Amino acid sequence: MITRQFVLKASMLVFLALGIQALGFAQIETLTDRRIGDPEVESPPRNFATAEDHYNFLLEEADGGTQHTMATIPVWDGLWSAGYNSMPSLFLDGGSMAVAMSPGGTVKEGVLTPAYEAQFRARRAEIEEHGEQLYDRLTTCQYPGTARWLWEPYVKEFANTPTQTWMLNDLMNETRRVYINSEHVNIDGKHSATGDSIGFWDNDKLIIWTKWINPADYLRGMPLTSNQLEMVESWEVQLNAEGVRQLITQVTFYDPVGLQSPQSAVYVHTSSPELAEFGARIRNWECSTSSNSYQDETGRTFFYLPGDPEYKDPRGFTDFPDIPGQSLNPMGQ
Amino acid sequence: MKKIILTIGTVLVVSFLAMTQTVSAHHSFAMFDVSKEQIVIGRVLRWAFNNPHTWLYIEVEDEQGGTQTWGFEGAAQVHAMRQGVNGNTFTPGEMVKVIMLPLNSGEPAGAMCFVQKQDGSIARPNDGVCNSEERAAVWQENGWLDSDNLTIFEKDPDYM
Repeated sequence: MITRQFVLKASMLVFLALGIQALGFAQIETLTDRRIGDPEVESPPRNFATAEDHYNFLLEEADGGTQHTMATIPVWDGLWSAGYNSMPSLFLDGGSMAVAMSPGGTVKEGVLTPAYEAQFRARRAEIEEHGEQLYDRLTTCQYPGTARWLWEPYVKEFANTPTQTWMLNDLMNETRRVYINSEHVNIDGKHSATGDSIGFWDNDKLIIWTKWINPADYLRGMPLTSNQLEMVESWEVQLNAEGVRQLITQVTFYDPVGLQSPQSAVYVHTSSPELAEFGARIRNWECSTSSNSYQDETGRTFFYLPGDPEYKDPRGFTDFPDIPGQSLNPMGQ
Repeated sequence: MKKIILTIGTVLVVSFLAMTQTVSAHHSFAMFDVSKEQIVIGRVLRWAFNNPHTWLYIEVEDEQGGTQTWGFEGAAQVHAMRQGVNGNTFTPGEMVKVIMLPLNSGEPAGAMCFVQKQDGSIARPNDGVCNSEERAAVWQENGWLDSDNLTIFEKDPDYM
């Protein structure tokens, strides 16, 4: 007869065995933990007080930049997936993407300004207590914005022309536009989620300076960014050891309100032709019309469910139910 | 006996979850009771292959002959596609067995881990809250999917 004691012991043995297997799976699945061959962070050629100084130095070093034509401009075609990035290690001892949104790591002292470090410590304490950050602003369809745009793990496309580069993320339809050989312009009188980006080409490397960005965060579980954040990025395609195209982004964050000094990190996007083979295409991102997640009275993320007055049927909405052809559900799903 | 077997399944999922939550959703998983796996059986009402999350809604019959709508959150489209799931994976009216991690609140919803379709195949539309490939293998190997009624298995309260 199988006793409960026997079942308990057997279950614990299987528990340990599967736990070891699961660790291997997690490392493959996330695609964000550092692996052999992932790039190192390249610090700026010297310390700069501002993003403007950094950008202008690079522009001078490139003799005003490379003037590409449609025939010579680098082509970053296809669908791309976010991969490794070093950003969590800026703010956590032992920081990696494996612990960015989960318990682990120790908050580094003196990287963030006092107010931002205190908020970050509170955020990490919540993660340690509950296993996760209980509410993330994307829950309510807020935009990731830059700098978070650099990692968000959905599908991205890049289109380069001699006068503009478009960086498209399917998440929230959030597109960055980089104006080549231009000056910053703000006739809006405000900041925005992705800010204003200008850039130049240094041969096949795109240099970008972004400013006037809405306050946001580096990622769920990571520190806040202030409305004074500016970024200098360099983007370049490299082949990894397996011959796969990767877009390597070296970035320096300048945030005099949130950071005690500028911080540099590296982000990787990997060409993902398998997505096109699945039939994947970037569609318009539905969030406010279909997402039922919200922040409840306790501050946690929760869902409206069928029967709740606030529930939104993700395929059922129409202002004109009595008129033929108005259904969002013509394929029966 | 069935309850004890499913307790084993419950224990296993705890060790796994600690290692898989680095795959990002657009919100945290804090609303789910990640220490449980439950099976819910019913007919597909709607398969919403949407961003930021896919949702599967099914109609479940209760013991009194009434019905209740259950909803299960899955991954964003691109993550689901990487696991072989697309907008045509589920058909309204199809009987399915959904293995999910329930809401802490006890309301009729949860995070999908994997789904056994009417033809017996396994679909894995899950987000990072669950290692569906491994969990489906465990459930299949142990015959836990052979339930022939509309049952929700709960964690054994004496165990934890």
